[in-house]
Amino acid sequence: MSVMQLFQPSATGIMKDQVARYVVSVLTPDRTGLMRGITTAITDLGGDIQGISQTVVQAYFTVILVAEFKSSVTAQSVQMTIVENFPEHSISVMVREFHDHCEASSDSERYILTLMGREAPGILKQLTEYLAEQAINIEDWYFRIDGAMVTHIGEITVPSRLDIRRIQEDLRILLEPRDLRVHCRHENIFRATNELESIGLMLDLQTRDRAKPDRKLKHV
Amino acid sequence: MYRTDNVLETVRMLQDENLDVRTVTMGIDLSDCAGRSMTSVASAVHDKITRKAANLVATCDEISARYGIPIINKRLAVSPASRLLEGHDQHAATRLAKALDAAAAAVQVDLIGGYTALVHKGMTPGEQFLIDSLPEALGSTERLCASVNIATTRAGINADAVLRVAGAIKNTAAATSDRHGFGAAKLVVFANSAEDNPFMAGAYLGAGEPECVINVGVSGPGVVKRAVERLVTDRPHCTLDQIAEEIKHTAFRVTRTGELIGREVAERLNTPFGVLDLSLAPTPRVGDSVGEIYQAMGISRIGAPGTTAAVALLNDAVKKGGAFASAAVGGLSGAFIPVMEDRALAQSAAEGWLTLEKLEAMTAVCSVGLDMILIAGDTPTATLAGIILDEAAIGVSNRKTTAVRIIPVPGAKPGDHIDFGGLFGAGTVLPITAPTGSEAFAQHGGHIPAPIQSLVN
Repeated sequence: MSVMQLFQPSATGIMKDQVARYVVSVLTPDRTGLMRGITTAITDLGGDIQGISQTVVQAYFTVILVAEFKSSVTAQSVQMTIVENFPEHSISVMVREFHDHCEASSDSERYILTLMGREAPGILKQLTEYLAEQAINIEDWYFRIDGAMVTHIGEITVPSRLDIRRIQEDLRILLEPRDLRVHCRHENIFRATNELESIGLMLDLQTRDRAKPDRKLKHV
Repeated sequence: MYRTDNVLETVRMLQDENLDVRTVTMGIDLSDCAGRSMTSVASAVHDKITRKAANLVATCDEISARYGIPIINKRLAVSPASRLLEGHDQHAATRLAKALDAAAAAVQVDLIGGYTALVHKGMTPGEQFLIDSLPEALGSTERLCASVNIATTRAGINADAVLRVAGAIKNTAAATSDRHGFGAAKLVVFANSAEDNPFMAGAYLGAGEPECVINVGVSGPGVVKRAVERLVTDRPHCTLDQIAEEIKHTAFRVTRTGELIGREVAERLNTPFGVLDLSLAPTPRVGDSVGEIYQAMGISRIGAPGTTAAVALLNDAVKKGGAFASAAVGGLSGAFIPVMEDRALAQSAAEGWLTLEKLEAMTAVCSVGLDMILIAGDTPTATLAGIILDEAAIGVSNRKTTAVRIIPVPGAKPGDHIDFGGLFGAGTVLPITAPTGSEAFAQHGGHIPAPIQSLVN
């Protein structure tokens, strides 16, 4: 398994007060069949998976997912059932109650930040400090080291009140002295150049989604 | 979540391969500015342009920053100015030209097109005033661009208009002799002109267009060149159809980039989005050359046998990629071959491989015509008319747009090097193999009838 992300709306129709919703996080050395073991455990408990983000970093598999269960299913039982599907001490599982946190993306837009240049310690610290100061949220991050060079790709949500030109200039001033080229571009350019959907339709849907309070959950 | 290789490929196109939006052109209809007094017409023109285009440049700058894509030019294309000259005189034409130029300066656009006359079947007095005013109009303005459509497949070729505009080209070059005839670089003569073309010098807003519209011209020869180079490097024995396929896929991406920018600019300006013109338009920069694409295909000397086929392959693949990418593809959409503006073409012309006659053959399959070509200043007017007639005949018979933007450089001889600077580039004055000998034909004037293929109903 390499990388997978998916969110889908619940089709169960179960009323809110009769269900329990959990966030499940799993870490284990990568091998085939891991997703089968995890999803089988959740299905055996009657769970409905509503969102998944999964990746592998340097041979370590990690997945975070949201699932809905009958209210009688506890977090501990979910954790135990998953662990039981794997060899002893081979897997770390954390289960927490789900709380909706939509406010972070209610008035923001998604940008792709790319950073390329010479690898050096402290790049991420310097960059993430700046992003946090600006209340810019990091939704996804990837980086690759190739010899002395490093490439970072981040998905970030930038509050609409911020001037993107100032952010771009701040990042340039911050990172160019470290021999790094940094660019921050709205996600639409990457969708336009890599997807087949009509541009007009894409922009129309985005405008409509922006008006919805739960757009982050739907988009991820 | 985006695939990292897709993200990096897009970044490479933008950062390393000169992908840009060559122009966002706002079309503005000026019909409601007509009047009996040129003072009131000029005032109305200025008011309308500055009102409609007040936020064009600022909006383009915002969108450019949002996507990290340079928008090189912001331009205006108005409805044919000749319509505002009916009932006036040639002096009024020059005043109108200056009013258009001043309005363009006020909204800080790079160029304004539409000092235009459509005379493919006949000339009204206003259209004659406009053509005759071209030397003074283009000599006394900075941003104004002019075009004259002298032929269509449905109407045939107006040979009287050809003679008249050939004289205007020579006189415009003479009026700007202190700049090597630069005024003629802002004048293009069309057959089958496109009414939604956003590129200069030939942009104007056609009769069937909205009152105000955003058209976008996107370029990207550097992106196509690198795609072909990568393919040929990875697969040295690749076939021409594989090269065409690679160009098509690249054109798809470039087209969608342009449409995204155009639609967002249009939405923010509350203006309809018109067309996306995917034309591989070069600049004099290294890595931004259409000629380098032919070289990447294997035409090391542009002008050698096979060059015309390479142009045809490129032009067709670009159109196909664009057509799949967007329903809004229009304008000229194909490959330009403006000699001075393209470093590789200019170099081949200077070395003698790319001749005027070979360029004419290439225009039968490219998206426009003889473009940005320097010739000797003493070239007879009738010879210029002959060149225009030949080019128009190619366009009319093949149901395509063709054009002539040719600069008779005052005092220059074949082989002289002329530099206009900036995006207009530099080049060598080309010889004409038979500079005389067709005067009697051109001077017959009149009208070359529409070809039989025009009878399509």
